[in-house]
Amino acid sequence: MTPRVSLAGVTFTYPGADRVALRGVSLEIAAGEIVVVAGAAGAGASTLLLVATGLAPRLVGGTLAGSRTIEARRCGIVFARPWTQLTGLCSTVADEVSFGPACAGRPRAEVTELAARAMQQLGIAHLALRDPAHLSGGELQRVVVAAALALQPELLALDDPAAELDPAAADALYRMLPPLAAAGLAILLATPDIERAARVATRALVLEEGALVADGPPAVVLPATEVGVLARAAGCPAPYPLDVPALLARIAR
Amino acid sequence: MIGYIAGRSPLHRAHPYTTLALAGAVLFAAFAMTEPATVWLLVLAGAALAATGGVLRSSVRTALVLSLPIWALLFVLYGLLGAAPRVALGPVSFSAPGIARALVLGGRVTAIVLGFLTALATTSPHRLVEAMTARGVPFGRTFLLASTLTVLPRMRERAARILEAQQCRGLRLGGSVLARVRALGPLALPLILGALAEVDEQVLALDVRGAAAGGPRTALDPPPDSRPQRALRWGLLLLVAAAYAWKFRRMRG
Repeated sequence: MTPRVSLAGVTFTYPGADRVALRGVSLEIAAGEIVVVAGAAGAGASTLLLVATGLAPRLVGGTLAGSRTIEARRCGIVFARPWTQLTGLCSTVADEVSFGPACAGRPRAEVTELAARAMQQLGIAHLALRDPAHLSGGELQRVVVAAALALQPELLALDDPAAELDPAAADALYRMLPPLAAAGLAILLATPDIERAARVATRALVLEEGALVADGPPAVVLPATEVGVLARAAGCPAPYPLDVPALLARIAR
Repeated sequence: MIGYIAGRSPLHRAHPYTTLALAGAVLFAAFAMTEPATVWLLVLAGAALAATGGVLRSSVRTALVLSLPIWALLFVLYGLLGAAPRVALGPVSFSAPGIARALVLGGRVTAIVLGFLTALATTSPHRLVEAMTARGVPFGRTFLLASTLTVLPRMRERAARILEAQQCRGLRLGGSVLARVRALGPLALPLILGALAEVDEQVLALDVRGAAAGGPRTALDPPPDSRPQRALRWGLLLLVAAAYAWKFRRMRG
């Protein structure tokens, strides 16, 4: 598979910081992969997303050492707080989703079609004429993801995208990822919601204090997470369950 | 109320350049007027503009709130402390030329504030962006102008949220002046720091969506312009030029 982004021994430090945020990270993310990035708070997951999409250090500042190659022609990123990602200039959801393709100077008909398709994918076509300022957090997050998809990115970074969503909306958001990956999108997902992410991820990374300590299939790598630790402590044989219901079911057996 | 108020008035339907040209004409004309009567005619013109936009009550109320402290200051500086001849009114005497000067300056401020409040209330930021995009204005400049129009309503919404949150935590707003001043800290700090943090994230999100691409942006729904509106804008320009010519002629004469 074509790598969308390659990092080789990448170390990144934020401006003014006295410790590195990423330490010697080497990895490749290919088209069609859904890569979940796990780690404790401050482990460097969000920073990895910024580095992989080229935003750090270009806009964030700081220093990057090592080699980084971004093959993806377009990258999208979605943060946890949807209201910070709105342009603030659009009076309808359709305009908000159209913003990116319009900035790229695509013809009007194409922009409209891309936006309509992205809204359809996210199940928000019925919100097209609503004012983004009057939407709920969950609806807004889907608008932001649709806006990212309308750009037709080859690499999509999602930084805790379900933070503002209720459980059903979070499930719906994660269910949407495999079809996107199947269409050739590389997805990099940083989230503390390992249980949901593990259901859709094709690969998992574990970061500790900025260093990549594990990289492999979720079923193998994610036992390093809390559920895995609990499963080991409960004496479950590998492969370990990835979420709490599965762990409880295993223990019950 | 400062900011856009949705509506269907002639000003709402007008091309955004026309509305801004009207506000700009009031601004420049205010400095060309030197007599209290002409300046206050301009204030009346500003009020008529607000009435045309269906925002008379809110614009006049806000303009008064913003202008009153300036009037009070002008009254003290020119009316009470101004030069002779003085007019006695009971135990107090006023400077006649000082009062005339204060009326001119206060009227200018009121007319300008009223004109711009009306323009803010009737110019949809989205339509302005579309109009500027259609004219090929670089997005950086468009964003700067349009986000200036939206910054106050956004800050007000954020301040209201912070106020509610701090009151839930026991912040008391009543009491002495000193207590009220003390309460400003827990309100202002989160407001400023939160806004700065969100700006960081918004910059990243907008960059990824191509806002900084620099190429021509597609205008999706440019507001219609018309020959009468273009004529009106040129007419306003000529009117302002004539007002300045008249002013300078009088100054030389």
